[in-house]
Amino acid sequence: MPGARAILEILKRQAVTDVIGLPDNSSAALFTLMIGDATVKVRPVTREGEAFALAAGLWMGGRNPILLIQNTGLLESGDAIRGTVVRMRIPLVCLVTYRGHAKMMKTLGRAPDAPDAELLSRSDVDSIGPVTEPTLKAWGIPFDFLHTDADLPRLEAAFQSARKQEAPVAVLVTEDTT
Amino acid sequence: MMTKDEALAALAACRTNEVVVTTMGTVRPWAAHSSHELDFASADSAMGHAADLAIGIALAHPARKVVCLNGDGSMLMTLGTLVTAVANRALNLVLFVMQNETYEITGNQPIPGAGHVDYATMARAAGFARAYSFDEATTYAAALPEILRLEGPTLVALRVAPGREGPLGREGKETAAYLRLSARDEVRRFRGAITGSAG
Repeated sequence: MPGARAILEILKRQAVTDVIGLPDNSSAALFTLMIGDATVKVRPVTREGEAFALAAGLWMGGRNPILLIQNTGLLESGDAIRGTVVRMRIPLVCLVTYRGHAKMMKTLGRAPDAPDAELLSRSDVDSIGPVTEPTLKAWGIPFDFLHTDADLPRLEAAFQSARKQEAPVAVLVTEDTT
Repeated sequence: MMTKDEALAALAACRTNEVVVTTMGTVRPWAAHSSHELDFASADSAMGHAADLAIGIALAHPARKVVCLNGDGSMLMTLGTLVTAVANRALNLVLFVMQNETYEITGNQPIPGAGHVDYATMARAAGFARAYSFDEATTYAAALPEILRLEGPTLVALRVAPGREGPLGREGKETAAYLRLSARDEVRRFRGAITGSAG
């Protein structure tokens, strides 16, 4: 499980100024820690699509924001992602908690390349799991995984990748933060 | 009811160093009044999110007023944004709703709630410090200096006649200067302008 305190230390090292998003059970520990920390400003939104445009505005204003949302909210945000951070080439790291990952791995062993109606209606599959990675690929957003503290260098690398590519990068958090 | 041009001309006459974010039916008409370096067109679709983008700029520069020229069709797509502005204390946000009650870009089809939705009341209910409704240009123009001076967040609903704006794009042939660059280049131009500007 990735530790919230270790993640926050990376955000500080990367000079993150604002964390925009909505909490879920997986990100709850990290949100709680950040709300009590004066270094990064937590910016609440009512729906995840708002978060991408708000991040674009913050970046245009000279700040260094990131996003922290669940994958369900990622899918809700489709046109906001396309029309703001992708179109504008905003170097934005998006921490996305991966609901449905554990069930998908247990049932299917891997993320399918092309999920179909048969798969997405199975009661032993949380349908958000199989559509997450194909959706990111369709939107042209590269992604990596944060499973445990051992993967924290991948989060650091995501910041470098976003800056180098001048584009959003996703880090999929597959376990609850603690 | 006033014309869109009357509404924008009055704002252009009062504008000093405020950021102005336009979208949809205000993008080209505003450019007819202004070519300020702190103008930005939210013209890359993502309809409904211009106000969210304006909130982001406002939070990055709390000492500077940020005006968003939103449409009523766009506002309806993200009503939660009213709550987001208040929750994030975007006290320098001045959110205009150009209330023509149609989707102008696509040929003026009526929007849901046309004729009875009260945006100023919704803004007050969401916690906006100030909310105004104007349907007459002279009264609106007289109130504008105070609207731009006082702390918000502020919403200004203007009843305007439908116009005839067409779809937006970013191409070199555009008459509006802030549509000539790509979105990638335009956001970087804006970032350089506002971070290098003396507020």
